[in-house]
Amino acid sequence: MLQLFKIEWLKIKTYRTFWILFGTFLLFFPVSFFIIARKFMESFSAKNTSMQEAMIKGMMGNPFNFPTVWHTSAWMGGLFFIIIGMLFIMLITNEVQYRTHRQNIIDGWSRMDFLKAKASLLIFFVLCSTILVFITAIITGFIYNDGTTNIFEGAQYVLYFALMATVYLIVAYFIAIFIKRTGLAIIIYFALVCIIDNMLWAGLTFRGTQLGYFLPLESVDSLVPNPFTKKMINRRRVDDWALVVTGLGYIVLIGYTIKNKFLKTDLKT
Amino acid sequence: MTAGAVFGILGPNGSGKTTLLGIVMDVLKATSGSYFWNGQQSSAAQRRKIGTLLETPNFYSYLSGQKNLEIAAAIKGCDVNDIDRVLKIVNLHERRNSAFNTYSLGMKQRLAIASTLLGNPTTLVFDEPTNGLDPAGIAEIRELIKQLNREGKTIIMASHILDEVEKVCTHVAILQQGVLKTTGSVSEVLQTSLHTDEILIQISSDNIAELVNVITKMPGYKQHKVDADDVKLYCDAVTSPQQINKYCFENGVTLSKLAPQKKNLETRFLEITGNGSQNQ
Repeated sequence: MLQLFKIEWLKIKTYRTFWILFGTFLLFFPVSFFIIARKFMESFSAKNTSMQEAMIKGMMGNPFNFPTVWHTSAWMGGLFFIIIGMLFIMLITNEVQYRTHRQNIIDGWSRMDFLKAKASLLIFFVLCSTILVFITAIITGFIYNDGTTNIFEGAQYVLYFALMATVYLIVAYFIAIFIKRTGLAIIIYFALVCIIDNMLWAGLTFRGTQLGYFLPLESVDSLVPNPFTKKMINRRRVDDWALVVTGLGYIVLIGYTIKNKFLKTDLKT
Repeated sequence: MTAGAVFGILGPNGSGKTTLLGIVMDVLKATSGSYFWNGQQSSAAQRRKIGTLLETPNFYSYLSGQKNLEIAAAIKGCDVNDIDRVLKIVNLHERRNSAFNTYSLGMKQRLAIASTLLGNPTTLVFDEPTNGLDPAGIAEIRELIKQLNREGKTIIMASHILDEVEKVCTHVAILQQGVLKTTGSVSEVLQTSLHTDEILIQISSDNIAELVNVITKMPGYKQHKVDADDVKLYCDAVTSPQQINKYCFENGVTLSKLAPQKKNLETRFLEITGNGSQNQ
């Protein structure tokens, strides 16, 4: 797969759009994180706080210090990650639109080779963003550290982020392969991530079931919920482990569907 | 197909030439039937040893010709140093660092041909290789194909341009609406005409009606077709142009034109396919 990734890298290393979007994520996420952390910590440490505020702070913990900073970084990374989802879709649909996927096959890739090459890109994105989440968290944690010794407590959220990123990208992969047109695929992706998923979750959860937590995107989203509101509203009674298994299950299922489609289809726009 | 041949695939528009080539290159999936390359089931490994140009050139528009070929070479597993050689063969070496989307149609076609030559494959598959080329380019490709064939390569070529096919191909298959109408060496296909015992001569004179009147009574006459100012005359193979000339003159008609027609691939092709393009 490394060989396949090298060829994919040849395709994108001079592609301006790739650098703009990837660069945006690599830059905007940590910078925004540091700025928000600073603003938050300034008001957090302000001396004249009322009794109510002190109570709220006590409930929330410090989101920019260990151990919660891992969670906060993972959650914010998840918000920004949509940029990568969009980029990934474009990289695949462009190949279909320009029919270069055909050319790759004609030149000597098998259909599986093509799928694996794109999967290697997926892994690349997940790795890069997970490392970024980790670094951002650890730096912020050290800046605002107030004496916590076990800095890796709570770091499982970084792994949850990796799982979430993988599921988000495999859903993007699915949409790209089936929809094939760049504009439409991106619109559907955004609609799914921002609107549809949340609506389905709300619909299922307000009926009193926990089924909403097993929807593909919602399952991994719930592993890394909003740390600023987590102690206030938490309807989830489903175990973390169950969600991890669900996420992995969806990866396998969607991966299988993509493979079946691509191996049998005619390669036309 | 035989190794070392230049095999032409002919057919009207919509007959399935590109579909056929698409299937054997695993770009399209057949609903039934099978095919073998060198006696084996097709695979990606085999495709790397075959140079293919299918329909339109598909390259990364934001990358240069050079970089596009680097990707193709990486997929085929052949040496990056080969790129210079193939670019020079198609006269694209000077523009190799320009982006693909700045190329003219002819240049795009040349790049596609260069890509097929990477790694010096023994088999080449061309779908309309002269598409978009000017007359100089067409002549160059013709020479290139002949040269490659002399080097022992097998070439499969789909084309509309019958003239080119006749000049270059050793074998030919004719498709129509997805059905194989005939196949064999070029001389075989030309010979198995329904009308081997007759010749075709184009004649003309100042008064076509009178000309027709006279020739229908000529010994050896079979049939004729009037085509604007010309008459296509079919008569017995033993009849010579001199005899026709003498007969017409003796009967009061002076010919302004007397041109024996060689049976060529174009007439044979139109005979087999019944003159039509299929829009299905």
